[in-house]
Amino acid sequence: MATPTGITLKELSKKEGLLTSGHRMCAGCGAPIIVKMVLLAAEGPIIAANATGCLEVSTCISDYTAWKIPWIHNAFENAAATLSGVETMYRSLKKQGKISKDIKFIAFGGDGGTYDIGLQSLSGAMERGHDMLYVCYDNGAYMNTGIQRSSATPFGADTTTCPAGSVIPGKTQNRKNLTKIMAAHNIPYAAQASPSHWMDLVKKVKKALSITGPKFMNILSPCNRGWRSRTDDAIMLSRLGVETCYWPLYEIEDGATKVTFKPKEKKPLVDFLKPQGRFKHLFAPENEWMLKKFQEIVDKEWESLLKSDSGRCDSKPSGKAPGAE
Amino acid sequence: MSKKLFMRGNEVIAEAAINAGCRFYAGYPITPQNEIPEYMSWRMSDVGGVFIQAESELAAINMVYGASAAGARAMTSSSSPGISLKQETISYLAGAELPAVIVNMQRGGPGLGNISGSQADYFQAVKGGGHGDYKMLVYAPYNLQELWDLTMLAFDKADEYRNPVMILGDGILGQMMEPFYQTPYTKPNLSEKTWALTGCKGRGPNVIKSLYMGEGELEFRNSILQEKYKKMRDKEVRFEAIGVEDAELIVVAFGIAARIALSAVKRLRKEGFKIGFFRPVTLYPFPEKELAALANADRRFITIELNAGQMVEDVRLAVNGKSEVLFYGRTGGAIMTPEEIYEELSASPRFQAGAAVLKS
Repeated sequence: MATPTGITLKELSKKEGLLTSGHRMCAGCGAPIIVKMVLLAAEGPIIAANATGCLEVSTCISDYTAWKIPWIHNAFENAAATLSGVETMYRSLKKQGKISKDIKFIAFGGDGGTYDIGLQSLSGAMERGHDMLYVCYDNGAYMNTGIQRSSATPFGADTTTCPAGSVIPGKTQNRKNLTKIMAAHNIPYAAQASPSHWMDLVKKVKKALSITGPKFMNILSPCNRGWRSRTDDAIMLSRLGVETCYWPLYEIEDGATKVTFKPKEKKPLVDFLKPQGRFKHLFAPENEWMLKKFQEIVDKEWESLLKSDSGRCDSKPSGKAPGAE
Repeated sequence: MSKKLFMRGNEVIAEAAINAGCRFYAGYPITPQNEIPEYMSWRMSDVGGVFIQAESELAAINMVYGASAAGARAMTSSSSPGISLKQETISYLAGAELPAVIVNMQRGGPGLGNISGSQADYFQAVKGGGHGDYKMLVYAPYNLQELWDLTMLAFDKADEYRNPVMILGDGILGQMMEPFYQTPYTKPNLSEKTWALTGCKGRGPNVIKSLYMGEGELEFRNSILQEKYKKMRDKEVRFEAIGVEDAELIVVAFGIAARIALSAVKRLRKEGFKIGFFRPVTLYPFPEKELAALANADRRFITIELNAGQMVEDVRLAVNGKSEVLFYGRTGGAIMTPEEIYEELSASPRFQAGAAVLKS
């Protein structure tokens, strides 16, 4: 599959935004930025499905919709199943000659609706091989219901159901590696991206949508309410997530792993943790071991990823972020 | 005198459960009941209990099944869409005769609905939302005092009958704050859980299951369950009746709708209307004998609910044609006001027949 080239901000800025302003997402939320980027990267007609979550609730208030494309929401656990139904009917109608358009199908879900309650329907959709791209905007907790932990919540984070205090120092488990789990379905394309590296993200979406079959993308989505960070820090934090290798940018295409960005100098994890209130307690002297352990987890996963890297890294020898150009 | 506290409804339920010896709680986020798992997440560790946030409502109630089989007092909570997901295991709990407390802080439906208080899960709770011939004890608290008292009672009754028990609250009760007395918990004299899976050293193995494939086996099991439900109907009915003796119109309401209706009833009584108030506290068993005893041709009933008319069917079955039964309800998470009910009862042309009785 050829890598799409010639993506420029100038070119993208001429395209019509398919998620309008006026939606009710919080100021500084990462999710609508991600959705806009994904939709900018897509060409032609798109049908989107949405799992229950902040994005769904805030973009379909009352009789209004922020989506300029056909959009469907069903129960929390079933975005992938709902879109499976839509996509299958589309293929049937196409076979019958009742529809001629080439439609792309994209599902959006948060980490609760993807890593946890929606995992079964996502796994089923990927295994059956529906022609869809599932995008998880991962903000690391159930932000819509008031910041409860999820299986994407990072080690040590303070949430309302793993509150940091004298008994536990925040979440004691590590998050699951969903991108690898989806890749283990042997789907043609799975990737991780970050809104800070917009060109990398757009390239990945373009590549995913050029492939027929099931695709999965996991995108880091800062949430200032849940991360206890400043409202204007979303891009800075997602960049730090990448530069500390907390959120490595890579893709797994037909089983071959390609790390799409290798930082020239891997930043210490604390650079990513420090600006976030949810990790505040980790900087207390008695929790120093947690910072150490968290760094070890990140290092181990990064090294393991590098070992699996087929070495076809796109990034320039300077290690400059593709999105930083 | 027990301690007077000022807390939020959802937290009252959580603390009452702990007070009654609940040491296992599994939950999952859904508004408007998030304060229950949030409270349990830190409070359980104080008492050496277990809090687990599951990956779904299904997982949460199945964890409760496991903990209950091991002999623990176990609870889960959710709100309407999440309770729908739990139905399969509620049926399994009933079939396997496992005690458990399930809290439903109802919200507007159907579907994703909204997050306001509602009473539209009445049928689901009392008629068996899951499959098979089973019944749960269903308690409908109408203030925070009852949230406290009935939650504790629910654990005793679950153990006594080896049956799932539901607390059917709603988003308003869950979110509101008011004072209540922290009445102490006294554990009744209940038999030991000799059926629990605690390791069979020194005794024969216990079996907990709901699968009965042998000829006639399942029918026999069902007859035992039905006898148990009959015992519940004979012994567990709870209700409150105010001014029903001389009433020409009796308002029947449960939960938060009863609380709203009571204000209107009190005002009408003060104004000289012969109006009564009847509040089922248990929705299953339903106080059908008590309502039947009140029914006669000179008396009307009006059921007031935050749904399209669910309990009204049970009121009609209870009075069995002896009295006319009217209905007033609001759906979709809309909340009625005492003034609205007052108007409906006393002046609205919609209830002219009822109003005529009132004024005669």
